[in-house]
Amino acid sequence: MAEGCALEMRGISKRFPGTLAVDKVDFSVKHGEIHALLGENGAGKSTLMKVLAGLYHDYTGDILIDGVKKDLFSPSLSKEAGIGMVYQELSLARRISICENLLVGRLPKKNALFIDRKKAVGQSRELLARVGLETLDPTLDVSEVSQCDAQLIEIAKVLGASPSILVMDEPTSALSSEEVQRLFSILRALKEQGLAIVYISHHLAEIFEIADMVTVMRDGRLVDTFPVSETNTAMLVEKMVGEPIQTFYAEGHETVSREEVLRVEDYTRWGFFHHVNFSLHRGEILAICGLAGAGRTEIARAIMSADPVDRGKLFVHGREVRFKSFGDAIRGGVGYLTEDRKVVGLALPQSVRDNVLSCVIDKYKKGILFDPDKHRGLVKKQIEQMAVTPDDPDRQVNSFSGGNQQKILMAKWLAADVDILILDEPTRGVDVSAKATIHNAVRRFAQQGKSVILLSSDLPEIVGLCDRAVVLREGHLIGEIPKAGISEKSLLMAANGEGEYVHAG
Amino acid sequence: MPDKKAATPQNTDAQHSDSSAFSRIFNKLGIYVVVILLILLGMAVSGGQFFTSGNIQSILEAVALIGMVASGLIFVTYSGNMTDMCIPMEMAFAGMMTVQCINFGFWAALLAGILTGALIGLINGFMIGKLRANPIIWTWGFNLLLSGIVRVVWGGKQLYADTVAESTDFAQRSAEQFYSISRTYIGGIISLMAIVMIVMFAIAWFIHAKTAFGQKLKIIGTNYDVARFSGINCTATLVLTYVLCGVSSACGGIFYAALRKTASYENGTGYDFSCLTAVLLGGVLLSGGKGSVVGAFGGVIAYGILNNILSWVGLGTYEKYLVQGIVFLFIVWLNTYSNRKLGKA
Repeated sequence: MAEGCALEMRGISKRFPGTLAVDKVDFSVKHGEIHALLGENGAGKSTLMKVLAGLYHDYTGDILIDGVKKDLFSPSLSKEAGIGMVYQELSLARRISICENLLVGRLPKKNALFIDRKKAVGQSRELLARVGLETLDPTLDVSEVSQCDAQLIEIAKVLGASPSILVMDEPTSALSSEEVQRLFSILRALKEQGLAIVYISHHLAEIFEIADMVTVMRDGRLVDTFPVSETNTAMLVEKMVGEPIQTFYAEGHETVSREEVLRVEDYTRWGFFHHVNFSLHRGEILAICGLAGAGRTEIARAIMSADPVDRGKLFVHGREVRFKSFGDAIRGGVGYLTEDRKVVGLALPQSVRDNVLSCVIDKYKKGILFDPDKHRGLVKKQIEQMAVTPDDPDRQVNSFSGGNQQKILMAKWLAADVDILILDEPTRGVDVSAKATIHNAVRRFAQQGKSVILLSSDLPEIVGLCDRAVVLREGHLIGEIPKAGISEKSLLMAANGEGEYVHAG
Repeated sequence: MPDKKAATPQNTDAQHSDSSAFSRIFNKLGIYVVVILLILLGMAVSGGQFFTSGNIQSILEAVALIGMVASGLIFVTYSGNMTDMCIPMEMAFAGMMTVQCINFGFWAALLAGILTGALIGLINGFMIGKLRANPIIWTWGFNLLLSGIVRVVWGGKQLYADTVAESTDFAQRSAEQFYSISRTYIGGIISLMAIVMIVMFAIAWFIHAKTAFGQKLKIIGTNYDVARFSGINCTATLVLTYVLCGVSSACGGIFYAALRKTASYENGTGYDFSCLTAVLLGGVLLSGGKGSVVGAFGGVIAYGILNNILSWVGLGTYEKYLVQGIVFLFIVWLNTYSNRKLGKA
């Protein structure tokens, strides 16, 4: 192909047992180019990048680095070939110093026994300067710096191996918008230095801002590659999904009744949330919004009795309750879809069936007996409704893509048959179509006369789904926004303590 | 184009279920392939003596005790708590209590022994299920404490059922009956111990595969937090897990005391690791949530035959320790390796 291709992948395929995750993909990146890689979860972009990182020794196809064919059969071969990977989850050891993290495995030595600290600090400063952190003291522990700085240190660490190709997988997922701008200016500087950068993100707006080229993948195949300047959001979404999407968010529904199903009064856990009052009605989708750390998850955990409450009352269906355990809360009709599906959401190495039934074992047992196969129909119905693909109840959950796993988690809570469901970031990090499926399920749930509390950082999601929003800031409930007033702007203003919907004082 | 799109996922589905069905069968029955290979090896090294009734009996006796204990230990391993280091004292204590109570009659003495095991399991279950003590450190420490109690209470003495028993007819008959449980052969060949072991495995299979408890244990063993956040009562489930292990260890300990005609604080020594080896050989994952009772039964048989072969080869006690240690570490390594493949470690 053309000259100046830092990386050229030709006809790359990678098969997993039962699926062809990447199917004959051609992908190339030039020097001094930021190339965005887009696709729904499960489209194969992570697998393609893992091939590049040298994590598989059994891919097929050719990889050319600067025009020379390389076999990337191990991570060290990939590193030697000049490929640097910045992963979504940070690979820094939090309890040791920045300079030890940066120079891990190649700390300069004075002699056979001792490390040359001065030289190490000097080298670290040089690396930090490349990512705009000249002022940071490399002897600090990583745990003492902010999330954004840690992300930049991670990049500096990768740059330390002087790669010619940099791969970034969702580098902005934990950053605020200001921090994203800082990251982008550094990326632009690296681009000027001639690095080829592959940028993976779900945020389309970011791609329009930073990328030069964009490649869309779907179902393991490459759909198209074109310059960012020649495209727009609707076109990208269409390429990703494979069919034109009319509207992400359907019309609101009119099923909210005045009947109160849940109410908290003066709810307080010192240091986390204070004097919180709100109520939830039958058929309503209520958002609790606020910036990260505002105390949303803590309130949900307190309602479910996973955390203690210091004061205040909880009423469910008009009766005051204090749940004794999580199981007690579920029996009381309240469910909680947790934030982190991999840690507390799903038993990954078990089947879909076992996961979907995990909330209802006691409900459906006969004496001491429980036969999961008797409830196949229920499982099948739930995963069909959630459009889990493939809809095989016996398949292990960890063989599904992230979006499908999140759908399975939703199916599990729909099967739990509760009438109040607290959803904590139900669509974080999932692709457009899984998001739409989950949103539709939430809407159906509410239309059946059940109620939802939605905790989300995704503003369009709140705008599209919710009937009402209450605003939490630093553990205090500072305002309430009715359906008509909910917009991304009003939510963001309120979360920052400003705007018309915030109470005085 | 639409046809092609529709066809692809179906194909991959079929391939997937084929390969997983194959691997499921192989994982369950893989240990039985090992068993057959070991039998062939045994026939080779024993010079045709492998299938003599004497040898079969000695294999079954050795396997029976390990199997009884393993049929309960499997629940602990499956629950994600690795192993119960209390097994030696559960066995010893149960044996001593049975002999000590022999004057109340045979059945009462058995009940006393089994309740002892259940009580120890109850305490373990409370500490680990309720207070979230580290399962290894707690059971290890508790094992030490129990061995102290046993030594202090009985003054470090060994107990013999016929001397503990009063000279009444009833007590002496109880003692005889007690000794006989490990010496009864159904049809002259199959030891009662082996039958008890098989019955215990059948019960364990039923509990594991057919009850709500087994289903809950599957989720707890895979991920304790997921179980908790699904409303599963983890404390009660884990208490029952340890009680099951305590009761089955007690059964093993009672038969052991009867077999040796001696109840002593040393009776269960070594059973902690040999039973865990058998369970792991049977394909139960050390980190929990994976494995079957059928597989664990195969593991027990394989372990018994392996030991028998070591005797035929003429290895002494010291060398046996060496081989057992190697087998144990190998199987733990294999377990960790397959864990990594599952992405759990």
